[in-house]
Amino acid sequence: MFAIKKCAWLCSCLLVLCLFACQGEQKADKTETAGAKTEKKPLIVTTTSMIGDMLRNIVKDKAEVISLMGPGVDPHYFKASQGDLKRIREADMVFYNGIFLEGKMEAILEKLAKSKPVYAVTEELGKEQLIQMTEDGLEKQYDPHVWLDTKLWASCIEVVANRLIELDPSWKAEIGSNAAALYKTYMGLHKEVKTEINSIPEASRILVTSHDAFNYFSRSYGIDVAALQGVSTVTEFGLKDVTNLVDLIVSKNVKAVFVESSVDPKHLNAVVEGCKKRDHPVAVRGPLLSDALGEDGSSEGTYEGMIRFNAKTISEGLK
Amino acid sequence: MDFWFNDFWIILCGSLVAMSCAILGCFLILRKMAMVGDAISHSVLPGIVVAFFLSGSLSSWTVMLGATSLGLLTTFIIEMLNKRGGVQADAAIGLTFTFLFAVGVILIAANSGNLHIDQDCVLHGEIAYIPLDIGTTIAGIEIPRQAIILSVLFFVISTLVYLGYRGLFLTTFDPEYADAIGVKTTTWHYLLMAAVSLATVVSFESVGAILVVAFLIVPAATAYLLTDHFPSMLLLSCVVGILSSFTGYYLAVYLDGSIAGAISTMMGVFFSLAFLFAPKHGYLAKRLST
Amino acid sequence: MLRSFIEFFSFSDPNVVYVVVGTLLIGASSSIVGCFTVLRKRSLVGDAIAHAVLPGVCLAFLLHGEKDPLILLLGAFISGWISIIVIDLIVENTRIKTDAALGIVLSVFFGLGILLLTHIQKTGNASQSGLDSFLFGKAASIVGADLYTFGAVAVLLMVAVFAFFREFTLISFDPNYAQSIGMPVKWYQLVLSSLTVLAVTVGIQAVGVVLMAALLITPAVAARFWTHRLWLMIVLAALIGAIANVSGAFISYAAPRMPTGPWIIVVLTFLAMFSMFFAPQRGFLSKWRKARSSKARIFEENVLKLLYQLEEKDGNKKVDRSIQEMLKRRDWKHSEVKAALKRLDRRALVTGQSENWRLSQEGRMEGQRIVRIHRLWELYLTTVMKVAPDHVHETAEVMEHIINPPLEKKLMRLLNKPERDPHDSPIPYAEDDI
Repeated sequence: MFAIKKCAWLCSCLLVLCLFACQGEQKADKTETAGAKTEKKPLIVTTTSMIGDMLRNIVKDKAEVISLMGPGVDPHYFKASQGDLKRIREADMVFYNGIFLEGKMEAILEKLAKSKPVYAVTEELGKEQLIQMTEDGLEKQYDPHVWLDTKLWASCIEVVANRLIELDPSWKAEIGSNAAALYKTYMGLHKEVKTEINSIPEASRILVTSHDAFNYFSRSYGIDVAALQGVSTVTEFGLKDVTNLVDLIVSKNVKAVFVESSVDPKHLNAVVEGCKKRDHPVAVRGPLLSDALGEDGSSEGTYEGMIRFNAKTISEGLK
Repeated sequence: MDFWFNDFWIILCGSLVAMSCAILGCFLILRKMAMVGDAISHSVLPGIVVAFFLSGSLSSWTVMLGATSLGLLTTFIIEMLNKRGGVQADAAIGLTFTFLFAVGVILIAANSGNLHIDQDCVLHGEIAYIPLDIGTTIAGIEIPRQAIILSVLFFVISTLVYLGYRGLFLTTFDPEYADAIGVKTTTWHYLLMAAVSLATVVSFESVGAILVVAFLIVPAATAYLLTDHFPSMLLLSCVVGILSSFTGYYLAVYLDGSIAGAISTMMGVFFSLAFLFAPKHGYLAKRLST
Repeated sequence: MLRSFIEFFSFSDPNVVYVVVGTLLIGASSSIVGCFTVLRKRSLVGDAIAHAVLPGVCLAFLLHGEKDPLILLLGAFISGWISIIVIDLIVENTRIKTDAALGIVLSVFFGLGILLLTHIQKTGNASQSGLDSFLFGKAASIVGADLYTFGAVAVLLMVAVFAFFREFTLISFDPNYAQSIGMPVKWYQLVLSSLTVLAVTVGIQAVGVVLMAALLITPAVAARFWTHRLWLMIVLAALIGAIANVSGAFISYAAPRMPTGPWIIVVLTFLAMFSMFFAPQRGFLSKWRKARSSKARIFEENVLKLLYQLEEKDGNKKVDRSIQEMLKRRDWKHSEVKAALKRLDRRALVTGQSENWRLSQEGRMEGQRIVRIHRLWELYLTTVMKVAPDHVHETAEVMEHIINPPLEKKLMRLLNKPERDPHDSPIPYAEDDI
């Protein structure tokens, strides 16, 4: 009886294998012809839209750039589709954020790096430049939101440029100049943000957001941050955390709190209501763009747009 | 050539998980413990956290060890509540996993709250990534790590079921008779639960929680509608699992959507078909016969 | 700690008020619904519905294009409602049991939801973020506006359960009977299911999946240890839920980084464990005490029986028997025998002290009764049941403590007041029996 069962399994597996082979053959044919068409331009795949924007500005029209995560997608909980897999496989080069932003996908990408040009844009950042999240003794976990510190983010341009040149050495001159120009743009942007934030009276420089995304921003631009939720959305904040935040807002006379595009605004509502009831109404501003760029084609759909929008929103809200 | 290997590996791994889970699932649904898979997917959280605290690392092995121990603990607690505590089986499952999950969340929150170690982040894999995670290369063919792991898992599970068939069968269908002839119901229960814990945690790592929970229940239930002969049920559930993996994958390609979601949806489709058209137990068959 | 306690219960902090009142309302609704779902053996329906709402939320978003809470809630409700219809459909029309049906719906609907979610991700609509977490709230962020919704749902539930109490009870315990007396069972099941979906959908928005699942199960389980009367069970469940909710909120208030929902679950589970151990009658402790006292009583009866047999042997009713003498004939512990004799002394069934005891007249009657039943039963087994004489002693040792006077009389009549047992020992009768 069991012998029959085993045979049946074996047969069905073989049958299925044959089916794959037939299907696979067809697919391979299709993609080969498709590949022939797009063979001209190399394909660069990025995970977040911020990285995608950076790439686009450096390669301009020399390569096609696709970001797997579109506007509004939370990178901590990105669920890959079959098409994403195909895109990664087809890519000539892949860039990801690293520092565990992409979660389990990161281990996969690291493995893939052995056989394909896959790079973390943050790979050259020293540990001392990063903000640590865990206590000593535990495996070090760092805050991944480096792109919100424009100066730090700009230092990643060099890495990207160097890797791109490895892909096609003939690009050296153009990539070099594009990268230099972008670096200048980002540094200019960095100064802009600094000025914008400095225009807020020092006593009012407190940024209250939904989740802990703005630590780098805080460090770079001299503004305090407070948030309700940690990095992981499974974890919960407690009642005390809400009341502590309310206390902070009331005692420091904070004028506005900021919701984020990729996090449910509901959680900050409790804080807002609490403040209202304590006769200290706060405005709800935003949504800030923390984990993803804004809508494609809109002014916030680029990195520059995102950062400017954030800076303006914050300064207007707190002044 | 590159692409059919994509499809092939994903479908193969999906099928392997399907078969391991479907076989165990047949026993689970007959023992009215279908939701144990879903329970374990939640209750592993404190195990992961504690394993992280004790070892200071988030390596695969640590996470799996923590998760598997919690899987076993979960089934143990459920059994205690049910047999000794007099709590009905489904309530025992609910009580256990909600409590363990809550403990896990508290552990994370209390310790800086910033740890990025929930199971969605560190344990649950994603079936779409399997072809990217190469384990080894044999004769020029790249073999994904998960294909090796899942094949071993399937081998282990099917061997366990094969060797323990009589005990599992008897304690599932006629526990009183089993007790009477000296087949220890409790031992077999725990053996089955250990197998389920192992299979679920290993499968979580490969393909994520959604698929595992679905594979544990839906193919077995579909097969249950199609046959009265238990060995056939085991076989049919595997077939349904394989078919779902196959069709689900191509559905995901077509919609450019989640593979796990698509496979689960296809399992639902097959179940619905069986529900309607099964020769003896189907809805139409029953309507026509009355 | 004390300061926190005072601060908390002064309810001066608006967030505290929101969370406490909110969770109380949700807790009350869930406990009521939960009693029915637990009794109908579908405890995990909360978990199932919570997962099954995802496709509804996604479809609502796709059709509407924006994240409008009301539209999404509607989508969630419809999806959840369909899921419960499907569950019923499966359970009623196939041999698949409830737990498997729940699992099927949970995984298939959720899988479909994930498929839709990834499809939405590809559309590039920026407002789609957090769609899947939209329905998975955190207890600490309940606000004033929510309270109206929760209050409305709670009131609706309580009114419905109050109005249809008899019907809901019947369809939960004995749907066949309900059907036979002409009750439109399907209609009431539909109402109950709809109320369940409503409670769950509103609830998970506020407190998340896991807490909602717990609120539906644990209070009902805890309450069941205290009573089997449904209306009382519901009240108790609501009370237990209330205590857990307030305690959990307090713990969450007393220290930072103590998440509210999980602490409520922990308190709930402890209350359930407490009930499991200490509830009178159905709790562990009570059952253990009963078992222990039952054991003690049986042992006492065996001591009486032995004393009677010793009297029978040498015909002497006036001499004390030593414990040593008793231990020669039985494999007992000295301390156990002494303790039993002391208890028998208190019941005036023996007289004596320390090591030497004899039966009182009542004790003799009692000992005789036990011996009589033992021998009658042996005779019954050998003559009526045709069991071999060497197989009857063990059973009789047990039955002698179980057979009560009416049954004893029946046995005597059936066997026609026999004089000897299968081992040829005389069967003693009390004077008034003769």
